[in-house]
Amino acid sequence: MTVLHSAPKIASNEGVLDKLVAALGDMLVESTEAHGEIVLCVARDRIEDALRCLRDEHEYQQLMEIAGVDYPQRAERFEVVYMLLSLTKNHRIMVKVSAAQDTPVPTVTTLWPVAGWLEREVFDLYGVIFAGNPDLRRILTDYGFEGHPFRKDFPLTGHVELRYSEEDKRVVYEPVKLAQDFRSFDFMSPWEGAQYVLPGDEKSAGETDREDGK
Amino acid sequence: MSGFQVEESPTTGDEVITNYTINFGPQHPAAHGVLRMVMELDGEIIERVDPHIGLLHRGTEKLIEHKTYLQALPYFDRLDYCSPLAMEYSYVLAIEKLLNIEVPLRAQYLRVMFAELTRICNHMLNLGSHVMDVGAMTPNLWMFEIREDCLNFFERASGARMHSAWFRPGGVHQDVPEKLLTDIGNWLDTRLPELFGDAMSLVVDNRIFKQRNVDIAVVSKDDAIRWGFSGPMIRGAGIPWDIRKSQPYDVYDRMDFEVPVGTNSDCYDRFMVRVEEVYQSARIMKQCIAEMPGGPVASENRKVVPPKRGEMKQSMEALIHHFKLYTEGFHVPAGEVYVATESPKGEFGVYLVSDGTNKPYRCKIRPTAFSHLQAMDMMCKGHMLSDATAILGALDAVFGECDR
Repeated sequence: MTVLHSAPKIASNEGVLDKLVAALGDMLVESTEAHGEIVLCVARDRIEDALRCLRDEHEYQQLMEIAGVDYPQRAERFEVVYMLLSLTKNHRIMVKVSAAQDTPVPTVTTLWPVAGWLEREVFDLYGVIFAGNPDLRRILTDYGFEGHPFRKDFPLTGHVELRYSEEDKRVVYEPVKLAQDFRSFDFMSPWEGAQYVLPGDEKSAGETDREDGK
Repeated sequence: MSGFQVEESPTTGDEVITNYTINFGPQHPAAHGVLRMVMELDGEIIERVDPHIGLLHRGTEKLIEHKTYLQALPYFDRLDYCSPLAMEYSYVLAIEKLLNIEVPLRAQYLRVMFAELTRICNHMLNLGSHVMDVGAMTPNLWMFEIREDCLNFFERASGARMHSAWFRPGGVHQDVPEKLLTDIGNWLDTRLPELFGDAMSLVVDNRIFKQRNVDIAVVSKDDAIRWGFSGPMIRGAGIPWDIRKSQPYDVYDRMDFEVPVGTNSDCYDRFMVRVEEVYQSARIMKQCIAEMPGGPVASENRKVVPPKRGEMKQSMEALIHHFKLYTEGFHVPAGEVYVATESPKGEFGVYLVSDGTNKPYRCKIRPTAFSHLQAMDMMCKGHMLSDATAILGALDAVFGECDR
């Protein structure tokens, strides 16, 4: 596909994927290249070794970001994505591991001190546990917050709201009361892509089923 | 102040004061917003800093998951509210990368030019507040003059002084008047160098300013890399890394500009890198004005960019496109990209995951201040309490972006 967009141009991806696949060997689970991005999925318990190999032998010196993503329908619902940058080769790759709520991901604070807060953030917002992180406290949410707000099953409006109480002379927490429910509009076109049954269509579906049954 | 302890010395029987812990912020004029730093002090020497962030957390990334791609754009203005257009930049480029659409040349020039104006605007605030943190008042007032000019230019281009929402996937929202370009050109030649030169003449060779900044928070090249530094922080450490230069986006590869680097990697170098960046930004803007071609300012792809009002009066198809784009929005092909641009503060990245619908599945924002603030402990250790304000000033942290 020809590149039409004008997003940042990094060094060519050509040959990089094959080289990294060979270097990572059995640590690698899956590798893809799409939209000009190289993504390497790595076995969870080998992530530290994999990133060390990429840092020391393949010149990906900087860890820029760790992102969490939640896919509730998967068995291991979370993905932890490490964005690596090579200052010398002028190249970027992404390395992924999958994790569930009760399967800790080995920390990479041993490789980059910057991982400390980045892992704290993923822990705070998704509840992914990083084994070996020396300081795995919450970071973005309130002191005493419960739950992991960026999970897909956590409501956008949250569970508690706070206000200053004149009687108690302090900030009090109360369950969220909304004058109007949060409205999530469905803009999906029924002609293309809608995944649900249109109102009324369930009747015809039942009829076809019966016919098939006969 | 809490945890003040007086203990008895085991040998002499005298009373000795042990370490005590103070709260720096969240309501501190030099904390640049709502930053709380728990500091452990030995006398006036900082032993340990524990920054507590998140007091401005608004859950932007979660909100974005519930909005269409276009509706999510204004949230980016509200991240780093000192450089709003630089925040939008990464986001629109990420969408364009997933869609793989071409942006007309004029739009690319306009985006580069206004991104650089944003850089000047941001550095005015940062340099001004940095010198104010270490005790000088006047330069800040002069630099706010420049900032005011910048905000007026933003208003003339987009209608809003700060939260422009002017960069759109596929280009920019509307064209600028010719008069604005000539006015910016005149401003770059007259007012900017005069005001900025005057303000800097008070600061750069000032004895007190140097005493407060030189040799403060020296960071080695290795440390800068390990702590994920970017932008003026990594250039201050002597590493010539600028995403505009090494990974050019839009028309940055046509621009002729220098990347200033520091030599001592202290707070003074970070300050001076930003000072030079202002002049380089002005240079880029002049080139943009000189070279900018005519033509459309947004892609003609009507499945992504809505038509203008005039066209809608004539064409049924345009009306349908307009309606569809402002209700359903456009669908972005499934996939994931990480796009980082050089914001005035450093690498500002957007990790966008699309599932093929009209809303982002996940939009992770990589703020610059997050990694820099994490290094506060490393940088402050062994310095005096009053140096913490200089270090924080040279860090250029804005909490709208850091806490998201």
